[in-house]
Amino acid sequence: MNKVLIIIKREYLVRVRTKAFMIGTIISPLLMLGLVTLPIFFATRGGGERRVTVLDQSGDPDLFDALNRTTSGKFDSPDQLDKRDPGVGNTTYRLTRRVVTSNEEMQSALAELQAKAASDPDSTYLVLRPGSLDKIEPEYYAKNTSDFSIGTLERSINEAVSGLRLKRAGLDQAQIAVYTRRVELKTNKVTASGEVKEGGRADFIVAFIMLFFIYMSVLIYGLFVMRGVIEEKSSRIVEVLVSSVKPTQMMLGKVIGIGLVGLTQIGVWALTALLLTTFGVSAFSARGLTLPNIPVSLLIYFVVYFVLGYFLFATLYALVGATVSSEEEAQQAQIPVTLLLVVPMVIFNMIIANPTSGSSIVLSMVPFFAPTLMLMRIAVVNPPLWQVLLSMAIMVATILLCVWVAAKIYRVGILMYGKRPNIAELGRWLRYN
Amino acid sequence: MNVVELKHVTKRFDQFVAVKDVSFEVRQGTIFGLLGPNGAGKTTSIRMIVNIFAPDDGDVLVMNKHVTNEMQSHIGYLPEERGLYKKMKIEDQLIFFANLKGIDTTEATRRADDWLKRLELADWKGKKPTDLSKGMQQKVQFIASVIHDPDVMILDEPFSGLDPVSVNLLKNVILDLKQRGKTIIFSTHQMEQVEQMCDDICLINHGTQVLSGGLKAVKRRYGKNTVILDHEGPDSFLQSDLVKQHKRFPNYSEILLNDSADAQEVLKSAIAAGARVNRFELVEPSLNEIFIESVTGKASGNGSEQ
Repeated sequence: MNKVLIIIKREYLVRVRTKAFMIGTIISPLLMLGLVTLPIFFATRGGGERRVTVLDQSGDPDLFDALNRTTSGKFDSPDQLDKRDPGVGNTTYRLTRRVVTSNEEMQSALAELQAKAASDPDSTYLVLRPGSLDKIEPEYYAKNTSDFSIGTLERSINEAVSGLRLKRAGLDQAQIAVYTRRVELKTNKVTASGEVKEGGRADFIVAFIMLFFIYMSVLIYGLFVMRGVIEEKSSRIVEVLVSSVKPTQMMLGKVIGIGLVGLTQIGVWALTALLLTTFGVSAFSARGLTLPNIPVSLLIYFVVYFVLGYFLFATLYALVGATVSSEEEAQQAQIPVTLLLVVPMVIFNMIIANPTSGSSIVLSMVPFFAPTLMLMRIAVVNPPLWQVLLSMAIMVATILLCVWVAAKIYRVGILMYGKRPNIAELGRWLRYN
Repeated sequence: MNVVELKHVTKRFDQFVAVKDVSFEVRQGTIFGLLGPNGAGKTTSIRMIVNIFAPDDGDVLVMNKHVTNEMQSHIGYLPEERGLYKKMKIEDQLIFFANLKGIDTTEATRRADDWLKRLELADWKGKKPTDLSKGMQQKVQFIASVIHDPDVMILDEPFSGLDPVSVNLLKNVILDLKQRGKTIIFSTHQMEQVEQMCDDICLINHGTQVLSGGLKAVKRRYGKNTVILDHEGPDSFLQSDLVKQHKRFPNYSEILLNDSADAQEVLKSAIAAGARVNRFELVEPSLNEIFIESVTGKASGNGSEQ
């Protein structure tokens, strides 16, 4: 047992100490964190005051009054009041009207304002060309046009114009807002325990993220195992190793060591995600996004299925690594194993559409699919506990079988070079002393 | 005392018999040469001694016990096909291999230090194998196989690819280990090295044992049937019934006599033919000759049948 620990230690340290691991584990989530939070940060920080000169050639004094009212936050409809972007609300627009009567006057005013706006980002101008209110096309000029708050300005203008249109048609906008108020459908999930939780889209997103994460991490770390075996084989270290340890110990040490690297990485990421949700949640809800609430039990299932799935596939990848002599050969030889991992990614739609059907239940019991499909079903429908436990039991049994077979083949394969063995030869390897 | 003993050992892979009824004994404190052409079954025999394979028939005994995995820590093995981890520091690799043989890290660090100094690699311990020359890597591999101070060492082509200075350094280390009572099984194709270093030998061909015993006894068995003749003048006398085969080197001829031939007759015919003889010596055949004759069934060289 001690020798397995020595190998685990080597496999773990040699990988964790690499630059690639540092970058992948620490820098990439930081980057992700930055990518998500920085725009929010800047958007909320935006703020300030924009002095907007309205070059009004429309000849309609009511229009400016309406604009002035809506941009300063005085909406006619109560519904709109609380719908202002909270994150961008800090920017205030101070409108000044400048009546323009002729095109010549407009030209000179534009030239004058352009010069001013070019040097001062807070100095902007809005042009209202002559024409009827129905076809109005306001033009906004500012040095910085990628400002998030422009959305607010646009909404204010819309609000003002449509309010004015309705008023002139003899209707009360406040009343209309009440009549056309949006209806939201509240979806509720019914679970076996009778407990009702909010469900729907968020569940699907969680399920999909988990499916994807399990798939990616099992694939990446499984291939690490395969490459590790090939490295030892092609650099001929195996011969020295097998004179000190049993091949089975070598294989287990490698599989466990690399698995721990995977768990470390997932741990760091989970921590980052936790930080992101704690500190990012307010920023997210400010942008009108609600993060799905992931129950702790689901996270535990995730870890359990990752460990089981990883162990199963890593063993198979180790077996593949032992039967080939080079990375090139491995490209081809690993296809059957990878296919087993890919199948759930192709059929998951079917499962999610009908997660309680007989075929869904059976498919989620198949040991190679269980880590992805059963986890998905857990996220979406909360299947009975016996199904979950059965799928785990089937996986454990399959893992034991695979470890036994892989160890036998590994033992012979790591010392064989040259031609790749066919199935019949692999069968014979199982019987060697 | 026999440290390693093979008794009627046979090993098959499917239909192929890699080793067939091989028996030999390795005495403690000796250097034993395990010889044979490529594919003869040497590596398979060695793998059975270090317990990588189990024999199908017969017994492999190490220190009078059947080999087990626990016994592996008493054996040091330098395989012919060997390597190092590319991305691991030299010192870390040596400690790792020592750990696997049951040496704790503190002790392993001390020994790695000593050995690296002894083999003139002290400045390289923090480097990775990719920074080292092939010869240096080989010395590191040698250290990895002896760092746990094993009682039995199996060295497969330990000198291949080394420069003469390193060969000498390593030879002295091996002889020193022998002095300290260690037993060494030495496998190589370099027959001069076997003649220099080995006490006993075993020659395998096609999985079967062809020759075995003390080096001197083996050579004596072949008798003094070889003449080293340093001569000037005509070569014609070599085409005679007396000579089975001969090899003409720039400075001398190596002449293998026919079974009943008398060496004196060769000397006479040489002088009769008008050759000037500078040296005439009756010797045992070289191990190289014995090797080639045993493996191919006939002696080497451009024979008299030309």
